[in-house]
Amino acid sequence: MNSIMKSGSRFVHNDYLALVLRIFLGVIFVYAPLDKIMEPSQFARIIYNYHLLPSELINLMAILLPWVELVCGVVLILGVQKKGSLLLLNFMLTVFMVAIGINLIRNVDLECGCFSVSSKSKSHALGLLLRDVGMLAIGIYLMINRSTRFDLFKSRS
Amino acid sequence: MSTSIRQAVLLTILALILAALSNTVLPNRIPYVGEWPSLAGSDSVIVPPSAEEGDPPFISLDEAAALSQSSNVIFLDARDPEDYIYGRIAGALNLPFEMLDDYWDSVTLQMPKDKQYIAYCSGDECETSLLLGREMVYQGYEKVYVFFGGWREWERAGLPVERGE
Repeated sequence: MNSIMKSGSRFVHNDYLALVLRIFLGVIFVYAPLDKIMEPSQFARIIYNYHLLPSELINLMAILLPWVELVCGVVLILGVQKKGSLLLLNFMLTVFMVAIGINLIRNVDLECGCFSVSSKSKSHALGLLLRDVGMLAIGIYLMINRSTRFDLFKSRS
Repeated sequence: MSTSIRQAVLLTILALILAALSNTVLPNRIPYVGEWPSLAGSDSVIVPPSAEEGDPPFISLDEAAALSQSSNVIFLDARDPEDYIYGRIAGALNLPFEMLDDYWDSVTLQMPKDKQYIAYCSGDECETSLLLGREMVYQGYEKVYVFFGGWREWERAGLPVERGE
C-alpha cells in the first residue's frame, strides 16, 4: 500500500514529466494565437459566429484573447509565473469547452478558430471537445505537480 | 491560490498592454468595438451561377463585415454614381463598371496594390461586382474579393453606410 502511494506520488511530482508536459502545452499556446494576432478581423468573425458574446465585446475579445494565450504559453515554457498562467490556461480551456459544447448542442457547423482563422478549417465539435479535455487534463496535472526544478525563477510560495 | 490569482491578474494586464500595442502597430488592426450584422445566416456565401474557375473568392456578409473593420481593406462599389450617392457601404470607393474607362485612372490613384479590395454591386441580380473583381485581378491586384450579397444584404443587416457625394 505504502509503495503504491509512493509511486503515485512519484508520478504526480515527477520533474521530467512535468517539464515535458509544460513545454508541450506551452508550445501549443504559443503557436495557436499567431494566426489570430495577424488577422484580428477574421478571428472576430469566428467569435461572432459562436453567437455567444454581445457584438460590443466581439472585437475586444478578438484583440485580447490571442495575447492572453501567447503570454501564458511563453511564461509557462519559461517557468515564470507558472501558477498564474496555469490558472488562466485552465480557465480558458474550460470556457472554450463550454463554447464548443453549446454549439455542439445547437448543432452548428462550427469554425473553431483554435489554431487558424482560415474559413476552410471547419472542424468536428466533438473532436475539438476531446482535444480540450486532453489539454485541460495536462493543465490540471501541472497545477497539482509542484516541481520547480526546471523553472527559470523559483517561486517562493 | 492567492499567488495564482495575483499572477493571473498580472499576466492578463501584460496581455492587455501587448494587445493594445499590437492593435496600434499591425496593418490589420480593427476598432475595439465593431459593427456586426444581427441577421441569422449571414455566414452563407452567395456564389453566382456564372462564377468560373480562377474568379476572385466570394465572401459572405459576415466575412465582409469582418474585413470592413480592418484598416487594410477597401470596398469598391461597382454600381452607377447615382446608386453610390444614394447610399453605399461606409468608406467605399465608386468604380462604376459600366463607365470603367472614365473612372479607372483617377480612382486607382487611391488604390495601392498592397491593400485588400472587396467589389460589390446591388445584390445577387447584378454581375458587375464579379466583372469588376475579374478586372482588378487582371490589372494585377492580388487581394480581391467579391461580396455578391452586395448593397442590399449590407443595408438590411444594419451595417455602417454613407450617403451623399
